Amino acid sequence: MTVETHGARESSEQLDLRTLIEKIPALVLCALPDGSVEFVNRAWQEYTGCSPQQLSGWVWQTTIHPDDVDQFIDEWTGALAAGKPFQSEARIRRTDGQYRWFLIRKALTVTPTHRSESSLRTLIACEDINERKEAEVKLHESEILLEAFFENSPNLIFVKDRQGQYLYANKEFKKAFHVTDEIKGKTDDELFSAEQAAAFQAVDRQVLAGVPTKYEDVALYEDGQHSRIVQKFPLFNAEGEIYSIGGVVTDITERKQEESARRYTEERHRLVLETANDAVVSIDESSVILFANPATMRIFGYDSTELIGKPLTVLMPEFLRKLHENGFRRYLATGQRHINWQGTELAGLRKNGQEFPVEVSFGELTRDGHKVFTGFIRDISERKQAEDRLRASERTLRQLTETIPQMLWSAEADGAIDYCNQRVLDYTGLPAEQVHGAGWMKTVHPDDIEKMARAWTAAVSTGEPFQYEFRCLRAADRAYRWCISGALPLRDEKGRVMKWFGSVVDLHDWKEAQQALQMTQVELARVSRLTTMGELAASIAHEVNQPLTAVTNNGNACLRLHAAGNLEPEVLRRVLEEIVADGTRASAVIGRIRAFIKKKPAEKNELPINDVIEEVLALAGREIYENRILLEPQLTTALPLVLADRVQLQQVLLNLIMNSVEAMTPVTDRPRLLGVQTRVDESGDVLVAVRDSGTGFGLEKDRVFTPFFTTKANGMGMGLSISRSLVENHGGRLWATSNSPHGAVFCFTLPAAGRSAS
Amino acid sequence: MTGGAPVVFVIDDDPSVRSSLKFLLSTVGLQVDSFGSADSFLHKEPPDVPSCLVLDVRMPGLSGLDFQHELATRHIHIPIVFITGHGDIPMTVRAMKAGAVEFLTKPFRDQDLLDAVRVALERDRARREQEKEVVDLQRRYDSLTSREQQVISMLVSGMLNKQIAGQLGTAESTVKVQRSRAMEKMHAESLVDLVRMIEKIKGPSEKAS
Repeated sequence: MTVETHGARESSEQLDLRTLIEKIPALVLCALPDGSVEFVNRAWQEYTGCSPQQLSGWVWQTTIHPDDVDQFIDEWTGALAAGKPFQSEARIRRTDGQYRWFLIRKALTVTPTHRSESSLRTLIACEDINERKEAEVKLHESEILLEAFFENSPNLIFVKDRQGQYLYANKEFKKAFHVTDEIKGKTDDELFSAEQAAAFQAVDRQVLAGVPTKYEDVALYEDGQHSRIVQKFPLFNAEGEIYSIGGVVTDITERKQEESARRYTEERHRLVLETANDAVVSIDESSVILFANPATMRIFGYDSTELIGKPLTVLMPEFLRKLHENGFRRYLATGQRHINWQGTELAGLRKNGQEFPVEVSFGELTRDGHKVFTGFIRDISERKQAEDRLRASERTLRQLTETIPQMLWSAEADGAIDYCNQRVLDYTGLPAEQVHGAGWMKTVHPDDIEKMARAWTAAVSTGEPFQYEFRCLRAADRAYRWCISGALPLRDEKGRVMKWFGSVVDLHDWKEAQQALQMTQVELARVSRLTTMGELAASIAHEVNQPLTAVTNNGNACLRLHAAGNLEPEVLRRVLEEIVADGTRASAVIGRIRAFIKKKPAEKNELPINDVIEEVLALAGREIYENRILLEPQLTTALPLVLADRVQLQQVLLNLIMNSVEAMTPVTDRPRLLGVQTRVDESGDVLVAVRDSGTGFGLEKDRVFTPFFTTKANGMGMGLSISRSLVENHGGRLWATSNSPHGAVFCFTLPAAGRSAS
Repeated sequence: MTGGAPVVFVIDDDPSVRSSLKFLLSTVGLQVDSFGSADSFLHKEPPDVPSCLVLDVRMPGLSGLDFQHELATRHIHIPIVFITGHGDIPMTVRAMKAGAVEFLTKPFRDQDLLDAVRVALERDRARREQEKEVVDLQRRYDSLTSREQQVISMLVSGMLNKQIAGQLGTAESTVKVQRSRAMEKMHAESLVDLVRMIEKIKGPSEKAS
């Protein structure tokens, strides 16, 4: 139309311009060279709804959108003044107030024929381009939107042309591969390693063949290796030809890691379930078993798959099933639990019908809107049995302590009595509360209280075992009786005393019997001494008779001389001196023997053992001498004293020495040596060794201490047996060994006096 | 009688017993020599006078009884008076059988001891005289020719002169001469006397063998 209008220009010069313009259906205005409008056509008026006056001059420009008007006017005035072609786009207000886009352009310059030069006119046509314009804006917005999506996408997005040159790559892509420059026009060869590029290009070739591809790969990014899902697809132009390759890359590195972590966790949970000692059973909302771990099978006796799909109640004894069903239903309906969900003791039922105690804990989990319950079931039969046994054992112990015919007590760590059994109460006749604490001391004989309390305090403070003999008042006959109390401490793992457990034993009768026995032993010992004396009789008689013979001879000689009137005073004096000396000598022998065989109770005194040995050697001296035995004493001086009965000690020594003498009598081919040695042994005791070079033991070494065993023609066989019991009564030991190369050694020990008291 | 004062040997290990014995024996004029042990006695050359032993049974080393035996084996025929502090019957019997003069238990009566010592010394003196006679006879016997000794021993065994001559292959008269010469040398007054003499010579040697 515009062209038509333009073509009609020469032929219609004569036409009335205004009429012409009016006939044009488009919006046309006629402008003067200064830019002002001479008139507008009717279409203008109708569109804007304005009067011709409102659209003439400069006023018409008020119909242009305020945002567009300034630019429009610049272009308008510039173009008109220069007589140049003009074209501009602007929004023009419609009669309803809505602005619509128009293409405003110079259509025709008309030179009037009959008017002044100033009457040069320019016809301006306005074409409604609103719809195109809106489409353009929309497209632009859409492009912005897409770009925003692309640029903000966490995925890598790119487009390459058929030659492999990048047309586009989003921000994430550039970041991932640290591309800072313009990427357009670059190829994979420039961006990546040869290997990587070759891999990419191989896929590209497939895509170019029209196959969209999706695959997982691992690519080296700026910050390391990434696992990715790559999607590549061909892009088609309007002609349906592939003009480029699009790509979207999703980074799944984290997802992979999470997956691996999840798999690890799951594996771990599985392992825990598989290896757990407790049964783990999951059920659904209808109480059907979904899962059961191997322990379940083991504990309940089912095969591995047998339980799946079965109701949970198969694992319960009959009496629990209804309770479970009701409780479970109630819980599902109300959320109220009818039992404790943690560590509840219930009963289980094995496949073989055996009921057993279990401890059950529950957990609940909702999955896809359904609840799953998991139970952890522990077989506590053994624990139960152990508990039962413990209870039974405690009961037995308690019964034992109460029924045992023994007095038992216990005390706190500080020594205060906190328990006495019935026997103690019966014996003392006191109620428990009067015995507790330090009340027990009421029952102790006044003479024993102080020492016993001291011993108990010492034991409590050192933790050493306690033992003490004391006299205790028996309620039954109001008599003090000899008792022995002993106690041992119970310690905790750090060795601290927590408690004391003790007993009291009435040993009065035993002690009396012991005393009687001791008397018997004393008597026996004396008999044995007399026997030894009998063995010594010959040498004793000799020892006594020697001085007596001398006295008699001297006396008789004097009498003879006196009768003959021949006794000289000097001779008499000398002889009398001899008589006195011999008499003294005889009485000393008698004294020693008397002391040895005197009947008197044993009495222990602190004695120097060497002195006792000297006394015994005096008794046996004659025997040793006559048998031509060489005595080799090795007496250590400054020995500790021993607490002993002198006569009993003499008896032991004499017995050993006489045995040695006798053992050496048959010996003719070697010296007869009798060694008597004293010293302190390794443990601080005083040791006496009697050593001989006699015939030794032969095969009878072990029997020499047996009563009535003897190798002597006239022996009673009691000497060594008695000697041993005498030594043991003194807290010592007596033993025999063979001497080298010949003979025997008899040794005995006695505790040093200071130590024996303890 | 052999000359020289008799000696009493006292052996006792006890000095005061020893000295009292010496004192007692000296009161009757006996010469006493005392020893502490049997060994020291053996070391001494015995004097050629009548003597006896007063011996303690219980002594270190050789006991009295052992010592008695020891002396016998050495042909020392000294009479022994045992004294003991504690004698028993078996010991006494053994001692007496072995020729002890007396067995006295200490302390003893002084007279018992003195009597025993006297007996012992007498016995020793007699033994010594007897021994001396045998020595004389032996010396006489040794002075005979071997034929004379042959004849005598045949005579003592009871053979007649004729039998002896027959056995020796000589004349009966020769036997008679030899017989009378031997009797003369032996100082025998009769055949009986000669037989007694020969028995004295042969006897002890036969016993000793």
